[in-house]
Amino acid sequence: MTSAAVAQRRGSYIDRPTPSSLADVVELILDKGLVIDAYIRVSLVGIEVITIDARIVIASVDTYLRFAEATNRLDLYEKGGKGLDELTASMAEKGASGKTKGAIGGAKEKVKEFVQGDDDEQEDDGSSGDGARRRPRSRQSASSARRRRSSNEDEEE
Amino acid sequence: MTTSVDLGCYVFGIVDAGARLSTPLDIPLAAGLRLVEHDAVAAVVSTPPADRPLGRASDLLDHDRLLADLVVSGTAVLPMRFGTVLPDDETVAAELLAPRQEDLRHQLEYVRGKVQFTVKARYEQEAALREVLAERPDIAALRGGDDAGFHQRLQLGERVVGALEKLRATDAPALLEELGGGPDHREHPPAAPDDVVHVAYLIAANESDGFVRRVEEAGRQRAGRIRIRLMGPSPAYDFVGDN
Repeated sequence: MTSAAVAQRRGSYIDRPTPSSLADVVELILDKGLVIDAYIRVSLVGIEVITIDARIVIASVDTYLRFAEATNRLDLYEKGGKGLDELTASMAEKGASGKTKGAIGGAKEKVKEFVQGDDDEQEDDGSSGDGARRRPRSRQSASSARRRRSSNEDEEE
Repeated sequence: MTTSVDLGCYVFGIVDAGARLSTPLDIPLAAGLRLVEHDAVAAVVSTPPADRPLGRASDLLDHDRLLADLVVSGTAVLPMRFGTVLPDDETVAAELLAPRQEDLRHQLEYVRGKVQFTVKARYEQEAALREVLAERPDIAALRGGDDAGFHQRLQLGERVVGALEKLRATDAPALLEELGGGPDHREHPPAAPDDVVHVAYLIAANESDGFVRRVEEAGRQRAGRIRIRLMGPSPAYDFVGDN
């Protein structure tokens, strides 16, 4: 299996990141995996803030504007004289991701900022700061939650 | 800062009792890696760093890498959600393992001998936008460059997004059918308008090569129009915990 992971890297038709990039790992593992019960979730609060934020960004008007920008940008190089069909054909041939790449993907970038942000204490907006700062509390929460747990047990059983 | 609070247990995942752990020297989050066992099941735990909060990018990568190493070496593992910390080994055994031993064993059987592959397909943005423009004169007419007003841009973007959704309605089912994968897959809703599919597959480890070839072939056929990203083999992140 390990050999498969290495061998496939030469395949040029799909992207197969090894090792996985941070963005891939964020998407792969956040919100996933075993969660035991409410009291363990206490230690996960900071992470959940990140994912919720990302979804809000995706759903916003911002998305429309980004796509409008990307679409508008297309005609900038259309003015160079090539017709639309011709360009479509040459796109298909070279398979380039092209100049509009990067206009979109804001949410993922945002997640990356949050995750990386804790090293340089960035506080560009309230939510990312919160996400990072909530982490220190979580370890205390684990032990205090354990105490709370005994009082919750009656309800749960 | 000195502290007398317990360092706690960082929990990576659940394995069979007696599973072999190698000690990865290059994974800081795995310091003090050990098994906490209870009858037939065990938790893979480490001692988290005491001098800083968890949650750095490197912690996420460590979490994934340690679990991926276990899976690739053939160990059945149920990944815990990133960031799970319990006070001490006793709590892990008494509150994590003991009460749900039966369920954990069940889930371990389910993932045994299998690995997760995650497929993400996304339109090549420029190609997709040109496709949309070619098919939709009403959208092409809304293009206005920098001098377009806010509402015109909003309307343009909204229609482009709608048109991409229509493309996806045809392309996604076709791609999913080609990848096959049987019942063991989990589809995620698209995270962005130009996503085609995002789907996780649980594949028998000895069928990995065949699966990867299918993905390669699907990518080859769509080159220039849809870009496919394949991640794995990884732990069964999408297949645990549904109870």
